Amino acid sequence: MNTSDLWLRQAAAILRLEIKKSFLARRGWWIYLLALGPVGICGLHSLVSARSTRMHHTLNEDYHVYAGIFQFFYLRLGIFFGCVGIFSNLFRGEVLEKTLHYYFLAPVRREVLALSKYLAGLAAAIFFFAGSVALAWLLIGAHFGPGWREFLLGNGLAQLGWYTLTAVLACLGYGAVFLVMGLVSRNPMLPAALVMVWEGINAFLPSFLQRFSVIFYLKSLSPVEVPVTGGLAILAVASDPAPAWLAISGLLAVSGLVLYVAARQARTMEISYSE
Amino acid sequence: MAVYKKTYRRYEGPLTPERQRFLVIPRYAFEEMRRSRFLNLFFLASFIWPLICALVIYLHHNLSALKLLNLDADKLIRIDAGFFLTYLGIQSMGAFFLAAFVGPGQVSPDLANNALPLYLARPFSRSEYVLGKMLVLVTLLSLMTWVPGLLLFALQGYLEGASWMAANLRIAAGLFFGAWIWILVLSLLALALSAWVKWRPAAGGLLFGVFFVAAGFGGAINGILRTRWGNLLNISHLIGSVWVSLFEEPMRRGAGAVFFRVARGEEIPIWCCWAALLGVCLICLFLLGRKIRGVEVVR
Amino acid sequence: MNAGAIELDDVSKFYGDVLGVNRVHLSIPTGVTSLVGPNGSGKTTLMNLITGLIRPTRGQVRVLGLSPAKHPDILRKIGYCTQFDAFPKGLTGYQFVYWFLRLHGFPRAEANALTRQALERTGMREAADRHVASYSKGMRQRVKLAQAIAHNPSVLVLDEPLNGLDPMARAETIALFREWAGEGRFVLVSSHILHEVDRISDQVILLSHGYVVAEGQIQGVRSEVKDHPIQVLVRCDQPGLLASRLFEQDHVVEARIHEDGKGLLIRTRDADRLYLLLNRVVLELGLEVESVAPADEDVNSVYQYLIGAEGGTA
Repeated sequence: MNTSDLWLRQAAAILRLEIKKSFLARRGWWIYLLALGPVGICGLHSLVSARSTRMHHTLNEDYHVYAGIFQFFYLRLGIFFGCVGIFSNLFRGEVLEKTLHYYFLAPVRREVLALSKYLAGLAAAIFFFAGSVALAWLLIGAHFGPGWREFLLGNGLAQLGWYTLTAVLACLGYGAVFLVMGLVSRNPMLPAALVMVWEGINAFLPSFLQRFSVIFYLKSLSPVEVPVTGGLAILAVASDPAPAWLAISGLLAVSGLVLYVAARQARTMEISYSE
Repeated sequence: MAVYKKTYRRYEGPLTPERQRFLVIPRYAFEEMRRSRFLNLFFLASFIWPLICALVIYLHHNLSALKLLNLDADKLIRIDAGFFLTYLGIQSMGAFFLAAFVGPGQVSPDLANNALPLYLARPFSRSEYVLGKMLVLVTLLSLMTWVPGLLLFALQGYLEGASWMAANLRIAAGLFFGAWIWILVLSLLALALSAWVKWRPAAGGLLFGVFFVAAGFGGAINGILRTRWGNLLNISHLIGSVWVSLFEEPMRRGAGAVFFRVARGEEIPIWCCWAALLGVCLICLFLLGRKIRGVEVVR
Repeated sequence: MNAGAIELDDVSKFYGDVLGVNRVHLSIPTGVTSLVGPNGSGKTTLMNLITGLIRPTRGQVRVLGLSPAKHPDILRKIGYCTQFDAFPKGLTGYQFVYWFLRLHGFPRAEANALTRQALERTGMREAADRHVASYSKGMRQRVKLAQAIAHNPSVLVLDEPLNGLDPMARAETIALFREWAGEGRFVLVSSHILHEVDRISDQVILLSHGYVVAEGQIQGVRSEVKDHPIQVLVRCDQPGLLASRLFEQDHVVEARIHEDGKGLLIRTRDADRLYLLLNRVVLELGLEVESVAPADEDVNSVYQYLIGAEGGTA
């Protein structure tokens, strides 16, 4: 067996083992709740509106509301916290449970291990969050019947594609960031809190600094723009969105770079289970 | 002579009185916290805002300083319920961060290291354990919120005169009770999450999650279902509403405290806010009751 | 360096300011080697270094000629049963062994066969399909052993492998260690149970406070401990007579008649001279000698002499 075949086989084994251990495990309940919450509300909305005799809103309004939820709930909270939970646990959780040595004692290159664990986390994150984003989008306007079908066949599908792609890229980017944090920091919540603040104040940063965040590129990819409203709107700094090709390749490049750091970190990591 | 008679002698010194036994927990917890440079710095930094507020109050009453700076006292800032609400909002957010760092370290290490049976095998009840752990948070958060708040109120009263104090006693009561409600909710939440999540950082993260994500989820409910009831999931909204009612009822002027805003038109009945906060506390107590036990069933 | 052994060359490991092991030079041959020392003496650190779980602060560790921390491939030849009583969540005993074999790169059928074999050898076949979380301490220990041996390693590192095992399982496991050693493998064992170490070890390594205090075959180590006279037990029909002759010798420190009156416990500073003398005296006096055996050439005695009370519990 040549080396690349071996790596692939090992990666597949890690992927399956990780999914077996964690996918739909009881302790992940809060992640499922995060992902399924909006789907539930959109479903409820669709159900209630479909039974109502008079419609109080338009399809366009619903999709604007969805755009807000996508940016302010999914990207900033749901996917963000979900990725904190999934990815920072990949190594740190094993240290806490004193089980990482089983992996380190297998003849697997640490780089392969880090990447495979990342892919397992990514599979779960994409399944839950990209799935939730798509499902919620489909549900929110479903009660409009023929109008919705028309919209779907028009530019609706493209919109759905962009939302899903953005969610996937969000999982990819945040996932890589939190994987590194789980490897580097004993308490990944401190750097995660810093990233949260940085991403949160992104709209109020100078245009140049806005580009040093994941949310800037994700916002650029979102098909419907949502302006900052409320009292703080006055402080927001308007910034031209990045072109789609740049946003996508930028996010992929940053994720790749961060994964490289993660692999390097995993390579030199030692087993130390003491707190 | 039996071996134990040669080597073992029962402790015959004074025992901690039964009622004070729960104080053993905070004593050691504070000692441990004292060793954390980060927590020390954070705690010290939390007094910067009260100091600024004290300076503002002082400036407000120092005519020569105002003249020198060419400022009008009332244009500078009004020392009223809004001022103290803002103070409380900022300090309470600091208290939230402190609770997120200190709270998870209270119960989760005991659970992770199977130390609970060691506590509970002694003449020490489950409620004393929770009380002891809670006292750590209550003390720290009190020192950050209502204690300096009442000192600021006293300073303003001293400079403004007894009549101001008498007319604004509601503010003092609001500061005291408002902060206590927040402290109780926060301490119970931090302890309950710490008891359910054995990994300390994850418990801290979950506290952030409950605060921010639940608020976001509430916002999503409001947006999609065109309702205000999503605010029931928004703890900052619930606390903000209670504060507004404590500080300003029946004449509401502002939009509540910073970080705990209650946007006009989005209010839910105040009794619902109280009931929701009570519900949060009861859920936390239930969770603590389930987890703080001398034995653990491992599945 | 010897490419066919476990070699530690001037190895030190510090955890911040805390010493793990210091300036360790070791060459561990095949057979059963026991690591003995009190808690915190550096046994687990040494095992973690040998298996590449940690890296030395200074020096080099080589297993079969390669550094385990730098060459993950060498891990195919190493099996490590750690002291951590923790398992990946949600797996059965079978899955636990099987999935980590898949990580080695074994195809499904081979991994299956090896898993069954390992579980069979450790007596875990029947409980294999139960979740590890439902196992008793002894079963958990055995399934860990199964996982460590499943890929047929030539170097087996076992940290307190007999913990939690009942007497029957202990005897079987010890027999297994001997079997592996007999096959020319390296079996490195740490144990607190000194009389068992005696039974299973070909050589011992005594550790204290992160330093190697002694290493080698136990008789050799014992003979190096000059400041403690060697004890010899002679079982014979007239121990009193023998004692009276031995007291004349300057190297005999003590001669004490055994409690049953049929033996003499002798403490001497020169074992060789004692054995020569015994031959002569026995012939001269016409004693009937049942046995002559060293009484403190065991790990327990060596441990007491070299580490003793400072070590606390072994």
